[in-house]
Amino acid sequence: MYKFDIGSHRRQCPPFLAISSVAFLCLMQSSARADDDVDFPNWTFGGYGTAGAAYSSERQADYAANGLNPGGAGYTHRVSPAVDSRLGAQLGISINNQWSATLQLVSERNSQNSYRPAVEWANIKYQMTPDFSLRLGRIALPIFLHGDYRKAAYALAWARPPVEVYGALPLSSSDGIDASYRWNALGVNNVTQAFFGHAAVKINDANTFARARQITGLSNTTTRGALTVRASAMTANLSINLAQPLFDAFRQFGPQGEALATTYGADHKQVVIGNIGVSYDTGNLFLMGEASRFNARSFLGDKTAYYATAGYRFGTIAPYITYARARSNGQTRDQGLDLAFLPPQAAPAAAYLNGQLNALLRTIATQQTSSIGVRWDFMPNRAFKLQYDRVSPQGGSSGTLINVQPGFESGHPVHVLSASLDFVF
Amino acid sequence: MFIDKLACGLFLITLMGAPLARELVVIVSAKNSSMALRPEQVADIFLAQTGRFPQGGAAVAIDQMLGSSSRDEFYYKVASKSPSLVKAYWTRMVFTGRGAPPREESGNDAVRELIAGNPEMIGYIDRDALDGSVKVVLVLR
Repeated sequence: MYKFDIGSHRRQCPPFLAISSVAFLCLMQSSARADDDVDFPNWTFGGYGTAGAAYSSERQADYAANGLNPGGAGYTHRVSPAVDSRLGAQLGISINNQWSATLQLVSERNSQNSYRPAVEWANIKYQMTPDFSLRLGRIALPIFLHGDYRKAAYALAWARPPVEVYGALPLSSSDGIDASYRWNALGVNNVTQAFFGHAAVKINDANTFARARQITGLSNTTTRGALTVRASAMTANLSINLAQPLFDAFRQFGPQGEALATTYGADHKQVVIGNIGVSYDTGNLFLMGEASRFNARSFLGDKTAYYATAGYRFGTIAPYITYARARSNGQTRDQGLDLAFLPPQAAPAAAYLNGQLNALLRTIATQQTSSIGVRWDFMPNRAFKLQYDRVSPQGGSSGTLINVQPGFESGHPVHVLSASLDFVF
Repeated sequence: MFIDKLACGLFLITLMGAPLARELVVIVSAKNSSMALRPEQVADIFLAQTGRFPQGGAAVAIDQMLGSSSRDEFYYKVASKSPSLVKAYWTRMVFTGRGAPPREESGNDAVRELIAGNPEMIGYIDRDALDGSVKVVLVLR
């Protein structure tokens, strides 16, 4: 993080960031005051990024870190930079000891196949006491152990967070408010965070949206020495119009079609996600594990996922191994419309819809991955990572793979090799 | 030949021994009511896990400059963190909006002088640089 004050280095501030901050500055000007030792307003500018390349042996589907950042390794390209590469920049301003604002922009491969920068966060923070703060605006979702900094790969041991767990919730921020309280009991430090908001994400350029309304959640992080435990839970009202035409078509087939559309459609479904993550890091030895349950009450499935990682830092070299698994708690196959109850002329259309429904259900990830990798901190603020993943989608599922082609076969391992250079500035 | 090796060896031992001989002390203003602190309590303040001293008063950490040997040694001793682990830690804190690294001051004297006048501040300096304006809450050997 590199700090500068507005007076002497104003020109170094990217113009678009400066303009968006001027309004806030004017708003808060009245409360700006000089403190004994710290100059206000205090500007900070920093960033992070990854230049990565990933190879996948699967030619009938693409490997991706999550569904919102289509990786494109495997089917689209044999080696793709899009799986992990990104650039993030963050501008912060503190007006005084209570008021501050943060703007973070991230450029990464998005679902519209571009790297157009998007506002990851834009929020105003009010530090009511040294231990209690409120934020308003676009805020990182504090779900998962590494959820709120998952894009800053420099802060992670691996090339990317295990896809089985983190891929279940590709969303990383929401628009709303959060309250954060830092407290200490019996020598144990805690941060408890409550949040409320909504989010809308464009899934592809064909006007397909995922909308999460009334995102409500709670997260508690406990730290004692080398041990960190985070428990988090979130619920939201989710609508995705991705498969809407399919479910509209099912509704044409009377009560049994209606029932299928209600069961699997993602129209105002109350999704629930719960996660517990544990990290034990002595400085040399590091152990991590997370388990989560994600129930979307729709074609997105009801999944349980977990991973365990162990690694050791030998100076600047830190090798690690990971095992991760996701399985479905519900069915990943449905007989669909019973053709026996339909007039013969409707049977081909119904059979087609049944096929489409089952193709959707196959995307509910049932998968296990064994990984081995190494991180090398070859110079300050730079880390090089090399990681091999043996990804095995199972039980007819296409796992976390995307862009799945008709020739894809579940049940055999996919080999993924990634190299990345992470940096912070 | 043997003498050369011996001299070289002794020289290396002296070099390696030099940092071990230095003692870092964690200090607060003489006006601060804090008594002795444990390494983990100091680490909590410097890593923004808490904003208060154990007695309840507001606590503001002051770092030595990035790359200085006393800073590297301090984080090794209170938090078992290498410079790159400290950087990774702050990457998480900064890019989640949860905190910012402590303000930096250059050298023992600057740190001591700043802390002497600010009872809420806490820092670390070489034992040699101590005077009556500050008091020691932890000795790092």
